[in-house]
Amino acid sequence: MVEEENIRVVRCGGSELNFRRAVFSADSKYIFCVSGDFVKVYSTVTEECVHILHGHRNLVTGIQLNPNNHLQLYSCSLDGTIKLWDYIDGILIKTFIVGCKLHALFTLAQAEDSVFVIVNKEKPDIFQLVSVKLPKSSSQEVEAKELSFVLDYINQSPKCIAFGNEGVYVAAVREFYLSVYFFKKKTTSRFTLSSSRNKKHAKNNFTCVACHPTEDCIASGHMDGKIRLWNFYDDKKYTYTCLHWHHDMVMDLAFSVTGTSLLSGGRESVLVEWRDATEKNKEFLPRLGATIEHISVSPAGDLFCTSHSDNKIIIIHRNLEASAVIQGLVKDRSIFTGLMIDPRTKALVLNGKPGHLQFYSLQSDKQLYNLDIIQQEYINDYGLIQIELTKAAFGCFGNWLATVEQRQEKETELELQMKLWMYNKKTQGFILNTKINMPHEDCITALCFCNAEKSEQPTLVTASKDGYFKVWILTDDSDIYKKAVGWTCDFVGSYHKYQATNCCFSEDGSLLAVSFEEIVTIWDSVTWELKCTFCQRAGKIRHLCFGRLTCSKYLLGATENGILCCWNLLSCALEWNAKLNVRVMEPDPNSENIAAISQSSVGSDLFVFKPSEPRPLYIQKGISREKVQWGVFVPRDVPESFTSEAYQWLNRSQFYFLTKSQSLLTFSTKSPEEKLTPTSKQLLAEESLPTTPFYFILGKHRQQQDEKLNETLENELVQLPLTENIPAISELLHTPAHVLPSAAFLCSMFVNSLLLSKETKSAKEIPEDVDMEEEKESEDSDEENDFTEKVQDTSNTGLGEDIIHQLSKSEEKELRKFRKIDYSWIAAL
Amino acid sequence: MAAGGGGSCDPLAPAGVPCAFSPHSQAYFALASTDGHLRVWETANNRLHQEYVPSAHLSGTCTCLAWAPARLQAKESPQRKKRKSEAVGMSNQTDLLALGTAVGSILLYSTVKGELHSKLISGGHDNRVNCIQWHQDSGCLYSCSDDKHIVEWNVQTCKVNKWKGDNSSVSSLCISPDGKMLLSAGRTIKLWVLETKEVYRHFTGHATPVSSLMFTTIRPPNESQPFDGITGLYFLSGAVHDRLLNVWQVRSENKEKSAVMSFTVTDEPVYIDLTLSENKEEPVKLAVVCRDGQVHLFEHILNGYCKKPLTSNCTIQIATPGKGKKSTPKPIPILAAGFCSDKMSLLLVYGSWFQPTIERVALNSREPHMCLVRDISNCWAPKVETAITKVRTPVMNSEAKVLVPGIPGHHAAIKPAPPQTEQVESKRKSGGNEVSIEERLGAMDIDTHKKGKEDLQTNSFPVLLTQGLESNDFEMLNKVLQTRNVNLIKKTVLRMPLHTIIPLLQELTKRLQGHPNSAVLMVQWLKCVLTVHASYLSTLPDLVPQLGTLYQLMESRVKTFQKLSHLHGKLILLITQVTASEKTKGATSPGQKAKLVYEEESSEEESDDEIADKDSEDNWDEDEEESESEKDEDVEEEDEDAEGKDEENGEDRDTASEKELNGDSDLDPENESEEE
Repeated sequence: MVEEENIRVVRCGGSELNFRRAVFSADSKYIFCVSGDFVKVYSTVTEECVHILHGHRNLVTGIQLNPNNHLQLYSCSLDGTIKLWDYIDGILIKTFIVGCKLHALFTLAQAEDSVFVIVNKEKPDIFQLVSVKLPKSSSQEVEAKELSFVLDYINQSPKCIAFGNEGVYVAAVREFYLSVYFFKKKTTSRFTLSSSRNKKHAKNNFTCVACHPTEDCIASGHMDGKIRLWNFYDDKKYTYTCLHWHHDMVMDLAFSVTGTSLLSGGRESVLVEWRDATEKNKEFLPRLGATIEHISVSPAGDLFCTSHSDNKIIIIHRNLEASAVIQGLVKDRSIFTGLMIDPRTKALVLNGKPGHLQFYSLQSDKQLYNLDIIQQEYINDYGLIQIELTKAAFGCFGNWLATVEQRQEKETELELQMKLWMYNKKTQGFILNTKINMPHEDCITALCFCNAEKSEQPTLVTASKDGYFKVWILTDDSDIYKKAVGWTCDFVGSYHKYQATNCCFSEDGSLLAVSFEEIVTIWDSVTWELKCTFCQRAGKIRHLCFGRLTCSKYLLGATENGILCCWNLLSCALEWNAKLNVRVMEPDPNSENIAAISQSSVGSDLFVFKPSEPRPLYIQKGISREKVQWGVFVPRDVPESFTSEAYQWLNRSQFYFLTKSQSLLTFSTKSPEEKLTPTSKQLLAEESLPTTPFYFILGKHRQQQDEKLNETLENELVQLPLTENIPAISELLHTPAHVLPSAAFLCSMFVNSLLLSKETKSAKEIPEDVDMEEEKESEDSDEENDFTEKVQDTSNTGLGEDIIHQLSKSEEKELRKFRKIDYSWIAAL
Repeated sequence: MAAGGGGSCDPLAPAGVPCAFSPHSQAYFALASTDGHLRVWETANNRLHQEYVPSAHLSGTCTCLAWAPARLQAKESPQRKKRKSEAVGMSNQTDLLALGTAVGSILLYSTVKGELHSKLISGGHDNRVNCIQWHQDSGCLYSCSDDKHIVEWNVQTCKVNKWKGDNSSVSSLCISPDGKMLLSAGRTIKLWVLETKEVYRHFTGHATPVSSLMFTTIRPPNESQPFDGITGLYFLSGAVHDRLLNVWQVRSENKEKSAVMSFTVTDEPVYIDLTLSENKEEPVKLAVVCRDGQVHLFEHILNGYCKKPLTSNCTIQIATPGKGKKSTPKPIPILAAGFCSDKMSLLLVYGSWFQPTIERVALNSREPHMCLVRDISNCWAPKVETAITKVRTPVMNSEAKVLVPGIPGHHAAIKPAPPQTEQVESKRKSGGNEVSIEERLGAMDIDTHKKGKEDLQTNSFPVLLTQGLESNDFEMLNKVLQTRNVNLIKKTVLRMPLHTIIPLLQELTKRLQGHPNSAVLMVQWLKCVLTVHASYLSTLPDLVPQLGTLYQLMESRVKTFQKLSHLHGKLILLITQVTASEKTKGATSPGQKAKLVYEEESSEEESDDEIADKDSEDNWDEDEEESESEKDEDVEEEDEDAEGKDEENGEDRDTASEKELNGDSDLDPENESEEE
């Protein structure tokens, strides 16, 4: 049984991936992106999240590789710290406390001990680029207060700052100005775009800037879609050429590593590669799905990646072929459909890409796929009124899917379409069964299937603002040519021309409740007779649902005036009501419980109750500062067994909710570490690399040596400790490079340990060799450790000096341990 | 084809390709195919997650594979250790996959990074690796091989421990639920104590190499005696070419060596999955995939000795639909089956090994045989495109039903309102009027004579139309209905016999729903029919249900300027009637041809309209609901005399006709209110 702690709200997915430019690791194996308070490390090959680096207490705003050690990563955050990470193991190495809010981070290989950050001083919208000197210190937390001012009055976005020509200058753009600061001369040149006010150039403000890696060339993107390439001859003299393909604002620019080509992207969702900076020599990668927000290039030059507004990162090969997609929960647009659970795949279903329904796996926090409902080419352009997928519902255990799409250009021009999809088991996919044009005269407000288990005929109800609700049933449409089924309208109901706002079926499907503004009407689902009406005169009904299981005689309605009513269907009387401004009301499919989220000025509160008693089972205040928009109960595969009464509602289902900023949250009783750090626990399996040609050269040589040695030793019936078993060596090889003491300190010990003494006949007495002896007892066993090669280690030992003293406790202990080891046998040399 | 591929070289090698579901949520399915590729599929959306080709994939093909238990932990600091011990199951990320090869090496592949993690060679096997098992907690890996040895690999410390497991090749391994014992099997089954590597028990085993071993219970059946972790547990074994799966029990005394019970299946087991029973009452559920591509499901409470082999509770087969008459349904082999965590559904992997389909099937224990019909013909083409974009396009073909406003089914059908008694009465009446066949024949004779005469005199359009409607002859109808001549239409309509009016209207409605171009022509006809025969129509008792579709159609078509068109239609009708009444009444209406045309197939309409003619006075109030304005009565009276003289209504056809219908059969409450 799970140990019970407090129920906490945890973020369970759908965090933003496209907030800042993604950063590639030096070998292009990993890609890093900021995601809320975390930095995520993805594999570029498998699209899998390898690590989540957590430690920041506020939004992470920038990440950069450490230019001096490409196995380390800097990140800065609004919490005022810069953190240094070892991304391979997911370990926080160091924290530099700057103190003020940091909005972006830049590193420069030339500026060894300092990084550049954007901070805002005094007034809220004035931002400065400053360089921060990172002090060398052994402690885990270091204060870095030594700021030196570089540029003032700059744009907050890191896209508007670029370092160029191996760090000779920094370029910043804002509105109509391009300022270039030369580090050596410490001068700033400012260029203003001419005639920025007249009509012809009305939209030529700067949007982004990129600098050529080796030449004095700056590329700037503009609102009107032009890219200007500035070439400098002097401080004041410059020429620029114009590249124009984008019809809308240029969102981001990037030079390739060698600087031969320039990449640009924008709302057209086409990645354009300009070769040799000429207008006619360009290549395209079209149909990337959504607006390109950021472009980045791997240091090795073999990969590009684009971050898109629909929360995805596309990894693109050098030859402009998309190779992988890292897709989070699509959150480009507002969610109209609400949260649903696909009964078949148990995936969360909601609006996805434009015109698509996305299926999102909650277990693996990964998008499964997008289902293209509208099936029309999406035109990325500002101000176009698109067809929106407004409603969707699953029926009959996932066999039917109803979708409603709508496009409203003007008040009177409404286009409505309802599609009913059947799940075809043979082909394992949805097939359009019936398409209904203009099912109603006005917007459809609610859509529900009758999900009763014994219902012989699938039934769907649509409620609309035109004052009617329609009942659609599945009928046999067979004729002599084919067998077919199709949906037809069976009944049209209305109540005094009020707008129908909600509808829902009772659990057994015998009753249909339709709310008409303030009035709830109950209809018999067999004869479609109006059975009774409830009216509380407490404002329009916002949510309506029947109780379930033992509480099926109750009907609940939440009104806009903040009243929650519960009617008894047997006595046709109001059972109880409560003053609660309900935003979300969701029944649990597996129990009688109903979750309601109320909205107050402070935040959102959760109430879980049974309709039979007005006293809530569980209350949690302040689950979110934002407005909660949708919620859903997700049945658990394996029921939990919480015994305490307050948590019992979580036994069979889990409650997920979506806030206005579209983060998906849920409730968990697990302790924070467990929930948040599944990925930091990793396998410490020994990594032995596959054989390489290098290995063959060295390895063979070694083997021969070993064999020779063995032969000689066997003759003498003495077994030498194999070099791999010497702790000094294994410690040296297996300890991460950044935590090792200086090479000078280790060198003598290391070399000593490698030396073979000729007088090691007493080798068996070496204390650490106990297990060796053990194994000799069984004849068949022999032990040989794999040869491990750690190329990086040797390449990075130079850095060891910087961080001699910052060793974690366990590592200190290890070091201490091998100080204690008896090296007397070495002395015997 | 797929199943036989793995073991084609060696008759005693187990059939089937090495494959496994990832532990816990079964998010992935790894399959090492015979071409040496390792493919990992996502089970939720059937997408190829990654593909890996070991560098030595041709010489050392993969013979077995095993997922590591969800991420092994790093050595925890003492502070962490104080926390709960249940952290093991919490991390649900699965990473390492161990692959055993035909040459004896073991590869550790990281599915998260998509690259080879390590290669375990030294001190290992020098022959084909037959089975790999991960230890659930310690991070150790056990492998067995044709070289008769069992090797324990500690992947954290890289320690290798090798011991001789059998006198022949060791083909299968299984670790006990408490992690302290190891089962190994060549032909006989041995239970080892892991710590000392000593044999604890012997079991008889099978005649052929054992291909699968599995513990089925984690708790002994009788809880009275203290449980030492192994005694009393059951385990299961399956062997090559053996249609029996044996169940063994670890007994405290070392005597019993034979199987406790056995399950029988149709062919050699290829893949076995089971749900562990946690208490005594809960049955063990077992899914066995056989080489013939079937899945057998067993549900049994393991409790002691049973002589007779048990047969399966349920068999699952998959077949192609077999379209048309030629192709017969073909079976689709099932490659693997795994129970989902809720134990109520099964993940099935079927099709070919290079493009398998993964489906979650809910289990229904009632049915003894399930045959799923699946169409995998479109699965053969590799789906590279969808792999990148993750977009699925549901099928939208022309077979889908399309409902637009006006088409029946878009709006609720108007159900016949008049009470039943009325109809019964009228039927009786018609029954009373029954005439002898002789009389009928006589009447028919007269009728034909008359017709013949008229045919000579007038245009043949009415006759053609009547015949067309009766015979439903498309050609004939087309010939008549596609005229554009307004006068001709008018005359034709005027001469139509009354009993054909309703069929004509229905035919027109059908055509109006069709292509807009033809609808333009039909509107002319409709207008004529409605102006000329308004009076007849208004007498019909069941007009509302009969023409409801037409009404809804018109209602939806004129929706844009509804009120304007209502007004326009009414005015036109008034003016037509006024002008018509001003004309002479001298011209006799030639429409009334026969008083007695009795045709059996259309008897109802016939009788209806006769009756309606006779007692239109009586029927009046019932047919036309409540509010019929006096204007409508005018219309009828005058309409009888109207002889197609209304030329002025050339324009605005549909609005006019629309209105006329409104006048006739006021269905819409809105109209009522307007008129008042």
